[in-house]
Amino acid sequence: MPSVSSLEDASSALAAANAEGRTLRIGDDMTTEGLHRLLEHEAGDLTCTVEAGVRLSTLQAALEPYGQRLSLDPPGDPTIGALLAENVSGPLRHRFGAPRDLVLGVTLVLADGTVASSGGKVVKNVAGYDLARLVCGSQGRLALIARASFRLHPTPQAAQTIAIETDDAAGVVGALRSSPLQPSALDVLHPGGVLVLFEGSPRAVAAQIAAARGPVGGVEVGLDAWDASRRRQEESRGRLRFDPGRLGETLADLDEAVVRPAAGVAYTPGDTVSQGHDPAVAALVERIRLAFDPNGVLAA
Amino acid sequence: MSLPATFADELRRALGREHVITEPEQLRVYECDGLTGHRAVPELVALPDSTEEVQLIVRACNRERVPFVARGAGTGLSGGATPIAGGVVISLARMNRILEIDLASERIVVEPGVANLDVTRAVEGDGFFYAPDPSSQQVCTIGGNVAENSGGAHCLKNGFTVHHVTGLTFVLPDGEVVELGGKALDPDGPDLLGVVVGSEGTLGIATRITLRIVRVPEAVRTLLAAFDTTDAAGAAVSGIVGAGILPAAIEMMDRLTIEAAELAVAPGYPEGAGAVLLVELDGVAAQVEEDAAHVERICVGGGAFEVRTAATELARALLWKGRKSAFAAMGRVATDYYVQDGVVPRTRLPEVLRRIAELSEAHGLRVGNVFHAGDGNLHPLVLYDAERGETEAARVLAEEILDACLEAGGSLTGEHGVGMDKACSMPRMFSERDLAVFERLRRAFDLEGLCNPGKVIPTPRLCGEVPGPYRVHPLERIGVAERL
Repeated sequence: MPSVSSLEDASSALAAANAEGRTLRIGDDMTTEGLHRLLEHEAGDLTCTVEAGVRLSTLQAALEPYGQRLSLDPPGDPTIGALLAENVSGPLRHRFGAPRDLVLGVTLVLADGTVASSGGKVVKNVAGYDLARLVCGSQGRLALIARASFRLHPTPQAAQTIAIETDDAAGVVGALRSSPLQPSALDVLHPGGVLVLFEGSPRAVAAQIAAARGPVGGVEVGLDAWDASRRRQEESRGRLRFDPGRLGETLADLDEAVVRPAAGVAYTPGDTVSQGHDPAVAALVERIRLAFDPNGVLAA
Repeated sequence: MSLPATFADELRRALGREHVITEPEQLRVYECDGLTGHRAVPELVALPDSTEEVQLIVRACNRERVPFVARGAGTGLSGGATPIAGGVVISLARMNRILEIDLASERIVVEPGVANLDVTRAVEGDGFFYAPDPSSQQVCTIGGNVAENSGGAHCLKNGFTVHHVTGLTFVLPDGEVVELGGKALDPDGPDLLGVVVGSEGTLGIATRITLRIVRVPEAVRTLLAAFDTTDAAGAAVSGIVGAGILPAAIEMMDRLTIEAAELAVAPGYPEGAGAVLLVELDGVAAQVEEDAAHVERICVGGGAFEVRTAATELARALLWKGRKSAFAAMGRVATDYYVQDGVVPRTRLPEVLRRIAELSEAHGLRVGNVFHAGDGNLHPLVLYDAERGETEAARVLAEEILDACLEAGGSLTGEHGVGMDKACSMPRMFSERDLAVFERLRRAFDLEGLCNPGKVIPTPRLCGEVPGPYRVHPLERIGVAERL
């Protein structure tokens, strides 16, 4: 599998495919393993810039000595490019958002070889169109993502999980969400379980755990409890989106799922029935795709 | 450019006579937004009351090939709502209804003409608020916030408008209506919400907006620390961030802006302060108390000669009073001022502030600094006197401040937008290739080039044939051989 190892590489490989009328699939026909450098980490700014082939675990390991992290914990260990292209998140989505919420800038290589940057490496920036967000969820069909800058967070001093066994997960989630508590993660492992993660100073975490266990009960468990959630998410084949306020009704219709209640997203083992894609949105996406890749080099 | 007489008649029949303006006297009301130096009189202003009416106007503009500009409250500072001479302005002022409050989903659905603060007012009784808080929040509209991806003092922790918009009904430049997102997050496919929010009215018009609302935190604590110098205050900011604390807001004012605020609203800030830092912490009570004590220690250790803390709403308002009046207070110390909006990486703040002081001295014009120190978003206030012929020098000084921001790896604009104001400056931050890709995206939305033309992307007509010098993009400065 040919890997590109520089922007020039990626640019000439894509430009050649474009000129020869070939199609290719990023991740299969062209990989970014060679784009493996951590380009910058400015600890005082809580930002970093990395090449797209860097694995998330590699980035986290590099940030860890500085007491910082990229607050994303998706299943598996995607490359930064895949993380953005799939816009995939994990339990920490509850508090910190998806890749599209933490990306600050990107450098892209378009199918015709054009190298273009958007955004920057500062946390606050509204200059120009936000191509960094645009490519989130683009599945590699708009451009090759070559490098990206992210906003980081301080690693919390303490983290503690409680697991609640319940046949009324919606009630438990409702009680937690209408309290002043601020969990970092809140998953429903349907049927029967709720996982809650609190992060912060040891004293504040203990206070939140105590305040949570009053109304909803539960037992303290290790952080590895989240692996089950991530594993089930990874094995899921369907993804259902619902109004967060309709959690109870949504769960009642599902046999099994990992659910992020605040996001209104449920990962289900079976294929989920399509939620009626708006043809006008599909047409718009197609126009954008044609503007970026008129010859259809980047295959689905 | 002249509209056919039938155009106004057609819109009057559809919208009602009083909702289509063609009288020159009334049109002048719309000739500029908050960027008052740029003016153009539109040929017609339409005030639609529904998505369907917006669609009808946009389709009519397409048929006649007339450019159109959407407008909210007109408080924008970059000229995003400056009309096109001879074109149409679509004012969303009548679309000011709150359509749905869904507390269980923590969402609110509003029309674009709703004022920012009215969103919070609609839900505060239930213990929620709308987080982005631009300083014009009493009057600026949600539609304008969506167009500009507005920020505010409290965006350091809570994020910007783009983090709080979950769904849009959006009229594309050809009149097609799309539903983007909804109450649930993470729609499939490329992040269209992410690119549309902050596109400065150039990709379409939002007519129905679904927003996240946030539960009011258990505890809020505000600290005001007075330092001798901005360097010392800046070092304290680094100390706070380095300690792993994420405040809701960190704001800084320098000596000149403190003096102006004292003259204007007498907030009673510590006498003799060369810099004042405002730090606001919110969240669960145990964490906030701990962090507040920590922040106080860092400030005192960093040379703060006075620290005040406030926990009640009233005491907090007092501490914020000087900061909130800072722009308006400039009228007390200068006849005219220009507000710049630049961003630098937080760690580069001290050197950029020193550079601004040098530039100020070189041009013989005073510069007040009030800024969002937590995210490196500077708002230097360039003071001048137009009657003494200082306007051009002030403009040059403001431009040079922007250069200093870009040289430090920052951005042309943190929250005011590019609009007309900075379109010709874009080549200083982006290469021709970057801009060409922006243009490709824009054409995918707006094939005919009718939707807020002349904004964001520089055009030869506006900027002359020769773009300004391109400076290396911060992303390509890092590493090797970047620009192909």
